[in-house]
Formats: sequence, C-alpha cells, structure tokens
Amino acid sequence: MIPRSVRFALSGISWPVYVLLYTPLALVAYYSFAPAPNSVGHSLHAYNVLLHDGDVFVALRRSLILAFGSAIVSTALGTLLGYGLCRFRKRNAKGFLAHMPSLIIYTPIIMPSLVFGISELIFFNFVHGATGLLAAGLGTMIIAHITFQVPYVALTVFARLSGLDPYLFEASYDLYANGLKSFFYLVVPVVQPAIIGGFLLGITLSIDDFTISFFTSGPGSVTLPIYIYGAIARKGISPEINALGTLMISTIIVMALAHFFITRQRERADQLAARGNVS
Amino acid sequence: MSTAVTQIDAAAHRQRLRLLATSGPGLFWIMLFLLIPSAILLGIAFFSADDYGNPVLPLSLQPFQQVAGYSLLGWDAGNINIFLRSLEQAGIATIVSAAVSYPLVFFILSRPEGIRPLLLLFIVLPSWTNQVVRTYAWLELLGPNAPLTWVAHALHIVPPDLGLAPGSFAVTTGLAYNYLPYMIVPLYASAEKLDWTLVEAGRDLYASGVKLFWHAVFPQTLPGLLSGVIFVAIPAFGDYVVPQLLGGDRALMIGSLIANQFTETPDWPYGAALTIIMLVFTGLGLVGFRILTRKLGGAEEATI
Repeated sequence: MIPRSVRFALSGISWPVYVLLYTPLALVAYYSFAPAPNSVGHSLHAYNVLLHDGDVFVALRRSLILAFGSAIVSTALGTLLGYGLCRFRKRNAKGFLAHMPSLIIYTPIIMPSLVFGISELIFFNFVHGATGLLAAGLGTMIIAHITFQVPYVALTVFARLSGLDPYLFEASYDLYANGLKSFFYLVVPVVQPAIIGGFLLGITLSIDDFTISFFTSGPGSVTLPIYIYGAIARKGISPEINALGTLMISTIIVMALAHFFITRQRERADQLAARGNVS
Repeated sequence: MSTAVTQIDAAAHRQRLRLLATSGPGLFWIMLFLLIPSAILLGIAFFSADDYGNPVLPLSLQPFQQVAGYSLLGWDAGNINIFLRSLEQAGIATIVSAAVSYPLVFFILSRPEGIRPLLLLFIVLPSWTNQVVRTYAWLELLGPNAPLTWVAHALHIVPPDLGLAPGSFAVTTGLAYNYLPYMIVPLYASAEKLDWTLVEAGRDLYASGVKLFWHAVFPQTLPGLLSGVIFVAIPAFGDYVVPQLLGGDRALMIGSLIANQFTETPDWPYGAALTIIMLVFTGLGLVGFRILTRKLGGAEEATI
C-alpha cells in the first residue's frame, strides 16, 4: 500500500517523535536520582526524603479515595444511564425534550475544564453560604469528579449495548425475567467489560485531572497533583518532586501496559475458544 | 379495541417510568452539579462587583466593558492581546499536532497489524499521567538550565540569561504535547478505513506522491482531521495548567486571566463575563467546524 521509500521517511519522522514524547518524562526520572547533599553520584536520597514526608502520604491517600470513590459512584450512575438510554428511549423521537439527554451528557465532555471547575467553585460556595453544607474539601472534589466521569461511563456502556441484538431482551422477557432480573442476569454480564472499562476510565480521568480538583478543593484536601503544583509554585522543581513524579508516571505506565496485555491475552483466548467451537 | 389502546398506553407509561428510573439519577446529577452551576456562573456576569469582588445588585453590563478593555484608567489593549495570544497559541498547537499526526498515523498503519495497538498506546500513554506532572516535565527540557535551552543559547535564539521556558514557545510545545493524542486517535480512526483502491488508481494514472496524498488520501482523512482539530483547539484555547506552569507572565492566556478573577484578585462578575466571551468563541468554533464537516461530507459518528 505505502511505497518503501515513503515508509522509510515515515519511520524517520515517527521514531524521533516517540523519543520526544518520553524525553520529558525520562528527565523527570533522571533528575529524581540526584546526589544526596554533600556527595556526588546518583542516589535514592530524594526517595528517602519522600518516604519520611507525612504530607505526601496523606495526599496520596486522598488522591486514592478521590479516584476510587468517584469512579465507583460514576460507574453505577453511568451504567444505569447508558442502559436506560439504549433500552427505554423511543427511537426517532423528535423535539427538544427527546434531545435533552444527549445535550446533558455531552455538556461535561465539551465544557472546558476551567469553566467546569469555576462553576463548581461558585456553586459550592453559594450552597455552603446558604445552608452550611458542602464546604470545599474532599467531598466537593468527589462530587465534581463524579460529574465529569458519568458521561464517559454512560457512553462506553451505551456503545457496548447498542451493538447487542435487541431480541435478546425480548427473549429474556419471554423466559419470564422481569426488568430487574433481565438487568442483573443479562445486561450486567454482557456489558461487564464495558462497566469495568468505564470504571478504569473514570479512575484514569480522576488521576489525570488537576484543574477541576484545584477549584473544588479546600485548604484541608490537598491531593497529589495539588501538592506538586503548590510545591513547584513555591520553590520550583526539587529532586523530591521529581521522585514523586517518577512514581506517579511509572505507576500509570505499568498499570496501562498490564491492562493492555491482559485484555489482549483474554481476547486471543476467546478467539481461540471460538475457533475451537466452530471446528 | 379500547382495552388494546389502554394496554399500549400502559406499556408506554411503563417504558417512560423505566427510562426515568434508569437514566434519571445520572442526568439529574449532571444537571444539579454542572448545568445549574454553570448557569449561575454565566448569570453572575450581569451583576456589579462589591469591594471583595462578589456579585451584588444592581444588574450591570460593566463586566463586559471591562472585558473589552475599559476601566477607570481608560482603554487598554491588554485583554484583546491576551485573547489574540490564546487564539494564536491554540492555533499553532493544533497545526503542530496535525503535522506530527499525519506521518505518525501512516507510520503505525504501515506496521504489522499485531503491534499497531501497542504503537497507538505508546502515543496515548503520556496523556494518562497527571496534567501537572507531564506539563512541568517540559521544564526539565526547556527551563533556564535545561538541555534544549543550551542548544538555543548556542544558536543565539534565546538571550543567555533566559530559558525557552517560561514563554510562548514552551506554552505552544506544552499544549501540542498535551493534546496530541486527541488529534492522533480520530485521525487514525479515519485513516484505518482508507479506501486504498483510490490510491492504486491514482498510481496507475502516474500521479506523483504529493498528488496522490493530496487527492486520494487527504480528502478521505478529512473527517478525522476536523474532529481532531476540534478536540485539540477547544481545550487548548482555554487551558489553564500549561500557561500557568510554562507561560509565566509573558505568555498569559485567557484561562489564567479568568482563573485570576476567582483566586488571586477576586472579581467574579468580570471573571464570569470573560468566561462568556471564551465560551462564545468556543461555541462559534464548534459550530463552524460542524458546518464545515457536513459540507465536506464528513461521516457523522454514532452518537447517543
């Protein structure tokens, strides 16, 4: 398809781009092994300092609570949402009301995260001023993170369900399954990969986010990204910050690669099994 | 007959109840925690500010005058410059990421099918690390005492006491780096479906490489490119982290200007008016590109 000479040129451009994509991240790792004070050569000094920094561990705990807490709720809400829209919405319905769900679902995706974050900041501020509830902190951060994750989970589940034979549902009703039974015995197993995918996507989005967290956080809810941002703003990049960055980068890379190879292996096994059944 | 009708009515009613029970909670959540808050934010733009920057009555259009550059000190081009700079930075970042994406996408397609997902994954992976980490990482390469800055000093591009970051160059680089996957993924999706027989036909007619790309490949990948442009340009225009960490005072962008009105020197109505202007720009861009996509015959993706 692509001539040899062009392929050669494509490789010549692309490999340097791959290298460039990882150079900044590699430099973060490189500088994290800075020498200890009054000594030369690479060392694990920065990691040692990090290990004894209580604030970092508190921030890490908050980040994990934020990621898992928000992803669990958004997976539940998003799965129901995707399922409901796929199954119970009238097809080809016209008018504003029929388009409302799509409009609502796409707003969090389209809205710039800065506008998202500031809207929440003002809203929580007003609600807190009026009722004393929802003081800025980990709780408001979790609410905001749920809000931007729900559409992604819903879209993932919706995509999986809409590829499904609609007669499956009718078959389940013919076998006297009621709505709940049909949901738990048919829908959940079938969309399970999408639910797990949506959950992981939610966690990834939560870990990736800084802007929305920044505007919804309070003084007592510093998470890892906010901690790093604050440290850089105060005293620039230090070996400890690089060590923390290195740990965050490598965790994500290891988890992503593990997920990739595990799902690929499972897909291959499924394909083999399917082939075995046919023959 | 009438019992049949009531049965259908009851079925439709049940259907509606089920729709409400399943999709209601999620939709309600987004309405309560995003649509209402953003409506409040936009509404604030039409209030006056008190001494603490909080919105108070009477209603006023003064925040919009402030946006246009009018203040007690007279007119100032500062805001317009910031707007133009944001457009420019987002525009260049979009062009750079498109220019990088084309060779990358066809490079991946030229590799055996088995390793393509892995090659794609390695493009997307950096964007899964945290925004702050992957952005500040560029300071290690562009900062005042960093490798690329030494090169720039040797070439006399940058004055000896300054680095490539903070500054516009670093912001553009950071934006292109952050949003590259958003260009690659849609472009890859449309390039994957490319009808190569058209390219073969062109080759049979002795078309040159450039002509082949321009007339046989490019039009087919246009829908992917246009989606990519939207996915990159819109978030890049309003980005907050990149200009904040890599821009410094010399490369202030609209995002930082808006954020300042809610953090450092509070003036909520002014900040809200700036937000409205930013959203109008974003919306115009979005609508413009949608019209363009339809005109060019871009395929509509499956949507909810």
